[in-house]
Amino acid sequence: MKKYVIRTCASTILFCLLILGEGLIAQANRVESISIKDATGRFVEVRLPVKKLVVLTSDALEVIRALKAEDLVVGVNTGIAKNPLFWPKLKNKPRVGSWREPNYELIVELNPDIVIGYARHPGQDMEKKLAPFDITVIRLDFYKIRTLLKEVEILGRILNREQEAKQLSTWYQKKLDFMQERLRDINNRPDVYIESYSNYHTTGPGSGGHEICDLAGGHNIASNFSIPYPEITPEWVLAKNPHVIIKAVSFSNCYAMIDSSPLKGVRNKIIARPSWDNIRAVQEVKVYVMASDIWTGPRAIIGITYMAKWFYPNLFKDLDPKKLHREYLVRFQGVNYQGVYVYPQFK
Amino acid sequence: MEDIYQRYKGFTGKKVSLMIFLLVILFAVALIALSQGAASVGFKDSFTALFRGSGLAHAIVWKLRLPRIVMAILVGWGLALAGTVFQAILRNPLASPYTLGIASSAGFGAVMAIVFGAGFSNEYLIAGNAFFFALLSSFLILGIAKLKGSTTETMILAGIAIMFLFSSLSSLFQYMGTMEEVHEIVFWFFGSLSKVGWKELGIASVMILLPIPILLKLSWDFNLLAAGDESALALGVNVKRIRMIGVILASLITAGSICFTGVIGFIGLVSPHITRMIIGGDHWFLLPASALVGTVLVLMADTLGRIVWAPQVIPIGIVTSFIGVPFFFYLLMRRKREYW
Repeated sequence: MKKYVIRTCASTILFCLLILGEGLIAQANRVESISIKDATGRFVEVRLPVKKLVVLTSDALEVIRALKAEDLVVGVNTGIAKNPLFWPKLKNKPRVGSWREPNYELIVELNPDIVIGYARHPGQDMEKKLAPFDITVIRLDFYKIRTLLKEVEILGRILNREQEAKQLSTWYQKKLDFMQERLRDINNRPDVYIESYSNYHTTGPGSGGHEICDLAGGHNIASNFSIPYPEITPEWVLAKNPHVIIKAVSFSNCYAMIDSSPLKGVRNKIIARPSWDNIRAVQEVKVYVMASDIWTGPRAIIGITYMAKWFYPNLFKDLDPKKLHREYLVRFQGVNYQGVYVYPQFK
Repeated sequence: MEDIYQRYKGFTGKKVSLMIFLLVILFAVALIALSQGAASVGFKDSFTALFRGSGLAHAIVWKLRLPRIVMAILVGWGLALAGTVFQAILRNPLASPYTLGIASSAGFGAVMAIVFGAGFSNEYLIAGNAFFFALLSSFLILGIAKLKGSTTETMILAGIAIMFLFSSLSSLFQYMGTMEEVHEIVFWFFGSLSKVGWKELGIASVMILLPIPILLKLSWDFNLLAAGDESALALGVNVKRIRMIGVILASLITAGSICFTGVIGFIGLVSPHITRMIIGGDHWFLLPASALVGTVLVLMADTLGRIVWAPQVIPIGIVTSFIGVPFFFYLLMRRKREYW
């Protein structure tokens, strides 16, 4: 009987030890993971730490650089090669294809922990293709200003750069709040015609142009439209008689530009459009051209600042968009300020 | 004999009255188009502003509405005329200004200008490039036809090959392009009349209107071509020469029609068919009547595109099919026998 009790006790202890040991081993092997909600609204499990990144969008690259995580990037989209001056450290990184259609074999070869792309590009096939290789796809846009700060925080958590993310979003929020505070008592917002990259296509709700115009205190004359980039007639602009006209242009190398004449050319053409001399904005020479670099994306705050100053020159007399841009580039991007982004520039 | 003469006169009368009817319709649609717009310049004001006065209403009518209307008429005229010529010389009911790959090569020209055009839209660069490539594709076809004999099959097959080549090249450029460039390319393929002013009209009208007398002169040869190459040859038609001239002129007209406005589809295919169903295949009448049908369709489409969802414009390239297809089906169902 005694023997039986001892045997039972011994086997119970052994059993417990086994379970405990297994638990300890599992504990030791356990990889920490977090669950984040990305730009598509789905929850993605990300295993930490993230050590290698492939980044398909230059918007995301800019935020990554602001979070001082540039060194984690092992692959970039082909487009950044067009702008080597702006990406001195990343220009020679392996290129994995375009932001819309990357080369999955190249990505797999680089063996990153995560790949970052836009919410809608590339298509859902990216997840399917990369899942067997244990590569997590995270979709973050960074070009919509209303979700930008949230996305910065998410990226900060993923890359273990929460401190840096906090610094960037605090800086950003402070600038936004400053403007909103000053605009609070403004009742008469100027009517603004925003023209997107293609002539006679404006920007309605759902577009970046509409969003930043709104934040800068302007009233987009297309604010009741139902599609983001509708075609309009020149006559409609004439009938609306806006106070300000803003034209978006897209250059691949604004950062390297010294001469502002291409932007000036665009502006002169707008001023010379048939009958547009009857529009208030043309008569009062309030026609401005802005490059896509500061239009949407992480630098939209610079674009908003320019717009606010164009809309309310007296209210924002003390605001210096160029200085702000310089501060952002030097402090968060680690590059010098240079390039041409708007026309006409403030003296 | 007298009876046949009377019947012929009757046929001719029908054709002439169709053209008069089309002119009246065109005039009516033009009047409506002239009075419609975002600015509060209504029917009476626009009509008054047309003839006298200065000021805003005058500027709106003369600088914005009228160029758009005239361009719609020119483009409709050009595309329909080119379509009729292509259908005649290629003896194929599916031929249109775009059959020989002209639209896709013009599109490629535009895409190239958009992607390499220093990043901002220079409309003359885009138009010039579109024009150049439209003509290039037709010369390619002519080259192949010269080497291999200008049979309709060779030309159509070569055209289809060229269409695929330039479509692929456009896709390649779109693939390489930035988000903004892709946007602009998509818009170019929708077609738009918002960009045109009198300056563009001047250039386009030269390319569209100049070839008309030559084409009318060739109309009898086009009629004979319908009987087949051998019969036409037997009747003294220099088939090769006619085909070459036809391709060059119709390509010129097509290029002139689309270089400033972007791709406006369907008009060139459907206008000749609609007209042929009503007045038959005599090209002396078919060419101008079909062109008139084209003008009415394009002007109607553009005016509707401006009104239906105002102030947002539905691109012309989209509306033309919406208008043309139901009308085409209606005529097709009403026909008791095959007409082609």
